[in-house]
Parts: sequence; structure tokens; C-alpha cells
Amino acid sequence: MEFTVRGTKTYAATGGKDFDNNLETLVFLHGTGLDHRCWALQTRWFAYNGYSVFAPDFPGHSLSEGTPLSSIEDMAHWLIEALAATGIKKAHIVGHSQGFLCALELARQAPERVASLIGIGTAAAIPVNPALIEAAQRSSAEAANMLIQWGFGHKAHMGISAVPGMQPIAIGRQIMAENPVEADLRACASYTSGEQAAAEILVPCHLILANQDKLTPLKAGLALAKQLNANHSIIDGYGHMLPIEAPKQCLQALRNIITS
Amino acid sequence: MSRSSYLKPDTIALHSGYTPESDHGSRAVPIYQTTSYVFESVSDASSLFNVEQGGHIYSRITNPTVAVLEQRIAALEGGSGAICTASGMSALFTTFITLCSAGDHIVSSAQIYGSTATLLRHTLKRLNIDCSFISINDEQALREAIRPNTKLVFCESIGNPGLEVADLPQISQIANGMGVPVVVDATFATPSLCRPIDHGANVVVHSVTKWMGGHGVAVGGAIVDGGQFDWAASGRFPELTEPYAPFHGIRFWEEYGPSALAMKIRAESMRDIGAALSPHSAFLILQGIETLSLRMKQHVANAKQMTDWLQTQEDALWVNHPDMESNSSHKIAAKLFPNGAGSMVCFGVVGGRAGGAAFIDALQLASNLANVGDSRTLVLHPGSTTHSRLTPEGMMAAGISEDLIRVSVGIEDIADIKADFARGLRAAKRAAEAQ
Repeated sequence: MEFTVRGTKTYAATGGKDFDNNLETLVFLHGTGLDHRCWALQTRWFAYNGYSVFAPDFPGHSLSEGTPLSSIEDMAHWLIEALAATGIKKAHIVGHSQGFLCALELARQAPERVASLIGIGTAAAIPVNPALIEAAQRSSAEAANMLIQWGFGHKAHMGISAVPGMQPIAIGRQIMAENPVEADLRACASYTSGEQAAAEILVPCHLILANQDKLTPLKAGLALAKQLNANHSIIDGYGHMLPIEAPKQCLQALRNIITS
Repeated sequence: MSRSSYLKPDTIALHSGYTPESDHGSRAVPIYQTTSYVFESVSDASSLFNVEQGGHIYSRITNPTVAVLEQRIAALEGGSGAICTASGMSALFTTFITLCSAGDHIVSSAQIYGSTATLLRHTLKRLNIDCSFISINDEQALREAIRPNTKLVFCESIGNPGLEVADLPQISQIANGMGVPVVVDATFATPSLCRPIDHGANVVVHSVTKWMGGHGVAVGGAIVDGGQFDWAASGRFPELTEPYAPFHGIRFWEEYGPSALAMKIRAESMRDIGAALSPHSAFLILQGIETLSLRMKQHVANAKQMTDWLQTQEDALWVNHPDMESNSSHKIAAKLFPNGAGSMVCFGVVGGRAGGAAFIDALQLASNLANVGDSRTLVLHPGSTTHSRLTPEGMMAAGISEDLIRVSVGIEDIADIKADFARGLRAAKRAAEAQ
């Protein structure tokens, strides 16, 4: 669906069904350079199984217009405005990587809007190598190349796909190459309040982590789980791009968390 | 470098799309010879049918063995996804019918395979899909041919049998700039020699029956979605951007972005047309792809030796190959095919049509048949076979003369191929002298 935030046309996927504020709602927040499509194989299931789904493209990403936001704090603030614009009072917030940093900040800035927090492939801080930011400054495609190479686990690199015939690496790379990767990376690099935000979270939290994650290593994810006093699930054999490379396992974990 | 994989092409050809399965550890890709797949539950079935998750339902739509081949070809071409079909022609028809509806228009190179020309000129015409044929490297002609209802520009990366190399960067720049995707039949090239997506093309089609398989024992086709065409910005494809009723109003572009076309082909055309590749054929083609680059190197080396040798034979009146400076598209070929522009060679023999027939009938090693891309050397007289349905004007536009012999140079020892062709040329000379 399309709506307006800060005077700018904004897009959010709703899982193929009309958004209904009367249903229990899940908000899905994409990671660096990605968009709502990384959630294609999770959002549609929830939308067709009794939930409302809201997966926005952050400003300047894919189908949302506007200028990319420069900080995680501002992304969270923008998100509060987006939730208000669509009448979402309270929701389960699901964030992948950078998206979970936004979720943490959202929970800190507007705890009344958060029913629970679910982080996928994430950590309290996502430090970024300056060389990666320099690459992103030259072109999103160059940085996407590096992020994708490190982001996917062994199976994706061997061309394994949960959707027959498709190549997740090419799909992820194409999306990232046309999005503002540099702004996202700078926002991640400069965000240092994750641990502090985690200490303030009172809602139920759960982390879904991957043992082949090289961008937010499992060790960092487990440390965050401890700080959040969160339950966690570990998906073996996959990397950082869990929603794309292990969509079925990711969905199953989400279903277990939400329905419990 | 592939946009789909960080493995090198030779590794992709051997591994991509499959890791040894957990139950038995089969190193080779298993043949899943099954029509259908047991659902875990009613809920699981429902979510598969509603595209809430990936997986297999029925082998007309997807099959695990075929999926390995699809993922391998997508990785080799650098695409976001691939769909395999029962033949190269069904891959073309499936592509055209997914992108075009009644009232739409296609711009095609005039230098294309005869059956493709017939599909575009006659069969699609019955569905009220019109086609204009142009000299595809003529920039002005391409611009003028694209109409508001044009849905795609079609060409072969190496035209059959005229061997004109399409200037893919120029064609893609013009067509994409006008909101039209470029569909390329890359059968003669294979991703081992040229990857059209790297040069701006948006969809790549193959007859995998040919060099991709290489063994001549299985018929099949493939469609690769380049993933980089903006179907929404084009404004010409409501089928991809507007709600699609059979799947609860799904919008393919919004949902899938770079794989929108591949998903639409899967969801609609494989369901409705059903030109599915059999798992056994997929397995056979996978065996060929494992050695693709090795074979292509030898094909190209033999083709070079063959063209060099034919040019020294007085009974061969002319010789054509894109790597020869006399080929009209030689400069483009040098740019797009740095490792050689394939192993199709055309030449004319003394004695016209009778000389051509005598040449072919005298051969003992090369096979006279309607196929190309076999590891064995194959020959054909297009004027009386593949392109016989074309008018004289159509034949001329396609670059075909009566004396033309089409050779798909195999990977036998080149000395044996030359000896066979020397026998054929002597027969052609005798036929010419008898006239």
C-alpha cells in the first residue's frame, strides 16, 4: 500500500491482502540496502493466516520516495510517524540486521507501540569497515557485491534456493545495487546506543540467529540476546541473509514465536 | 563475474544448484522421476498453492531435478532465476506469450532461426500479436520500429544461419531507453562464450538441446530472467505490475522485483501451457553442462581451423564466421566474444544447389541432420530444410543463399573433419562439372 510520511510517498507491502487495523499486526523492517521483498516468503503467510502485515520500504529505498535517513534514531522516529499514518497502534516488530537496530530504537522511543521484538541476523551494534563505506560511496553496486558475498551462507553460494529456479544472490544484489547502501551503512556505523536501548526494553524479545553469519556473528547475536533477556533460535547452515536464504526456517521460527 | 554466484563459471557448471542430499549423500544430481509431492499438511499445501513459501507441487510447474538445472543455468548466465521448458521453441513461445497479449507488437531481427521466424510471422499473428522484422544492428531502424504497443525486442546473439552478431549493448540501450525489454536467444553462444545480461539484455533464452547439452540425446529449453528490467518504470506491462486475479490479486513486480518475470512465467505460463522439461532430460542436460567450457574451447578451436582451411579450398566459394574480418559484424563479435564466436560456420560450394547436395551426400563422418551444437560435426542445407518456409525475400533478409552449407563444427580431431569435408568438396566439384 502507498501512504504519505513527512510529505513523501511511501510504500509498504501488506502480504498480498488489504491492511486491516483490527487484526494483530506484524511490522517487518528490512536491512541495509534491502526492501520489503526480503520478507516475501514470510509476510504472505502471515497475511493469509489471520494477521495484518506492514513491511515498509524506508525512504529512498525501492518503491518509497524521499531521501535516505541518516541515523538509526531518525529511522525509528520516521517509523513512529509511519505507524501513526497508517493507524497502527501496537505491533510485533520484526527486524533484520539494521532493521532490528531500528526496532530497538522504536521500542525505546515509543514502547507503547511494541507488543514484542523479534530480531533476525542482528546484534546490538553493527560496525562497518570503512572500506565498505568507501565502496558504497563509489557505487551501491560495488558495496552490494561485498555485502552479498559476505552476507549469504554456503548454500546460497552453491546456488541453492528455497524457491525452485531462483538465485537469491542475484535477487539480493539487484535490489541492493539500486538502493542507498552508503546512507544505511553510515547509519549502522554511527549507531552506538544498541546496548543502552536493549537495557531499557521491557517487552518480550526473541532473536533468530544463524551460525554462518559473518556480518553480525552469532557470538554478537547471543550477547544481544543476553542483554535483552531474550529467547533465541539458531538456524544452522545459513548466513546473515536469513529471510532470503532460509525463508522456510525463518517463517517457521516466526510462527512459533508469534503463536506462542 | 556472475551476478548470481561468486563461484567461477567452471565451478558453477559442476556444482551450482545442488549439494549432496541428506538422505543418501548422492554425489550426482538425483533424477526425481515423480509427478507430484506429498504435502506435510493441508495448511502446508495451502501455503504452497498461495505462493506463501517455495516448494514443489506438481512437476509441470517445478521439479527438484529440473530446478537444479534452472539454478545452474541462471548462475551461469548471471540471472535472477531461470525456467526450463520442454524445448527451445517452447521457451521462446512461453517468453513471448508471458510478455505479450492480443494487440501487442514485437520487433525482431530478420536474421533468426526459421522456426522462430515462423512463430513470430504466422503463429503469433493468429493471436493478434504482430511482429516487425528489421536489420537488428541498424540503430535507426530499431528506433523507428518500436511502437507504443511493442513489448519486446528479439534477436539471437549469433544469428542463425547468417552468423550476424547482434550488437547487444546498442540494442539494449535503445530498447530499454524506450521502455522495452530485450530478449536474446543465446543458443549458439552459450554462457561460456557470451553472457547477454552482462551486455544489457533482459531475458536470455536457450535451446539447451544444443551446446549446453552437447550430446544430442535430450531436447530442452531455458528462459533466464536478467532481473534488471524495471517493469513498473516501463509502463508497458500491467500483467506484471497490476493485480493478477488467479493468485488473489498478486502484483508480481511489487512482490518479487528482480524475479518478477520468472515468477510470472512459473505461475502462469508453466501452469497454463505446461511445456515442462522432464526430469530425465534435465539430468541428461546437466551431464552436458558439467563439461560446457571444455567443450566450447574445443568447438571454437576446431571452428577456427575449419574456417582457415576452407578459405584455402578453391571449391569453397565463400566462408563465413563472426571471427573472420569479412563477416559484417566482426567488430561486434570481437567485442562480445573475446574467446571466439562459437562453432557455427557457413560456406558456399561450387555447383550451387546441386553442388551443396552433392557435398552433403558425400560426407561420411559429419551428420546431415536438423540440429546444431552436438559434440559431433553436423551439416545441413538450410534452404531446403530449416528455412524452407521462408519466401525468397525472407531468405535473403535472413542471409541465406541457395549454396549455403551450415556446419556445426564438432570436437572430433580436426584432421578427420577436414578429410571428410575434402571428400564432400570433391563431390561438389564433380556436380558442378556435370552441369
